[in-house]
Amino acid sequence: MTRSARLIIALLALVGALIALYLTLFKVGVIGQLVCNVGSCERVNTSRWAMFLGLPVAAWGLASYVVLLVLALVSLQRDTLERQVALLLVALSAWSVLFSAWLTSKELFVIHAICIWCVTSATIMALIFVASLAELARARRVDREERFDAQNAAPAAPSGSGPIRG
Amino acid sequence: MSQKSARAQRSNVVRTQRAASLKPFYIGLAVVAVVGIALIARTAQHSDASRPSIANVAITPVKAEGHLLGNPNAPVQVLEFADFECPHCAEFATITEPDVRKRIVDAGLASYRYFDFPIGEFSNSVAASNAAACAGDQHKFWEMHDKLFQGQPDWSSESNPKSVFATYAKALGLDMSTWNSCYDSQKHLPEIKANHDEGVRRGVNSTPTFVIGTKQIPGAIPYDMFKAYVDTAAMEAKAASHAESSVTKQASATP
Repeated sequence: MTRSARLIIALLALVGALIALYLTLFKVGVIGQLVCNVGSCERVNTSRWAMFLGLPVAAWGLASYVVLLVLALVSLQRDTLERQVALLLVALSAWSVLFSAWLTSKELFVIHAICIWCVTSATIMALIFVASLAELARARRVDREERFDAQNAAPAAPSGSGPIRG
Repeated sequence: MSQKSARAQRSNVVRTQRAASLKPFYIGLAVVAVVGIALIARTAQHSDASRPSIANVAITPVKAEGHLLGNPNAPVQVLEFADFECPHCAEFATITEPDVRKRIVDAGLASYRYFDFPIGEFSNSVAASNAAACAGDQHKFWEMHDKLFQGQPDWSSESNPKSVFATYAKALGLDMSTWNSCYDSQKHLPEIKANHDEGVRRGVNSTPTFVIGTKQIPGAIPYDMFKAYVDTAAMEAKAASHAESSVTKQASATP
């Protein structure tokens, strides 16, 4: 696997951002009713758990997805700082997965209603987390290989052309 | 060619190749974004703005007072958080509530306040609360309350339930032009939202939920259980009042 994890993260983050945008527009009143054939989306989104630190939870989700999308796109363009970007992807998606799990538990055990859009978003975030772990593992492997190449190349070409990496 | 310039050249080639190979992916991403935003815009246009919804009501400083029945100074305060479209609420309103009103509220044992708590599971709950609040302007809230619960199957599946509500309003002898303009203006939505928010603040998560004295009880409880809660609350209120008066006496006796 080379870039496929980053491609998957970018695509998932875009879909997640669109869902979060939809729920945010409902929460701020731009959309009157949610399309919700399964569960009780409005009940969940009008509950006290739909707000966090004075902002709609969906708006926080939107911000997270946008950051994840930008990180994935940046990492597709550049090979430098690969490991750092992968670490950021893992950290942000791990935090978001935990937050989504907490919200889903509130839906199940406190509100006693399920919002299918929220569950879809939580699933997308979990998939992003898994893909981020794969990306981090790949970045570490590349790091190790580069270090190994550098160590082996140094004595072999002491005066001139060493291995060229892009 | 030096090692540095060769590396730079190679890097440029890799970058150009990468950009070219990612082009279909970026086009696909852009298509997903455009289709998604178009779907959201379409949903926003088609979401029924004429159907009342408290989700659209801005947070306003309206006090949640509910709708009062009985003596506000009665020893026990009963609050009911209910949704006009919820079947369990209708069950309570039609089977148990007549006894509660006659034997508890009319007897002066407790006051009773109805708080709108549209749970978002039904499409006409807020419209029904709106119809009842408009009847309340003409002092017929409770009469409309009863009609709405008794006739729940007649309006719950309507795409626009106003015509059914209007027949109730007419039967109650309301001034129809006042009721109609009140209903259409949706002027009571901030109060309905305030009532709902009061329930949220108290941790209500199902309907009906009753607050009797200091206890919060979910579910359409039977009359005997309801009366037992009222009696317990009355005893607690009495004990608290005795304790308060003895403290006052002691304080006034102290030089």
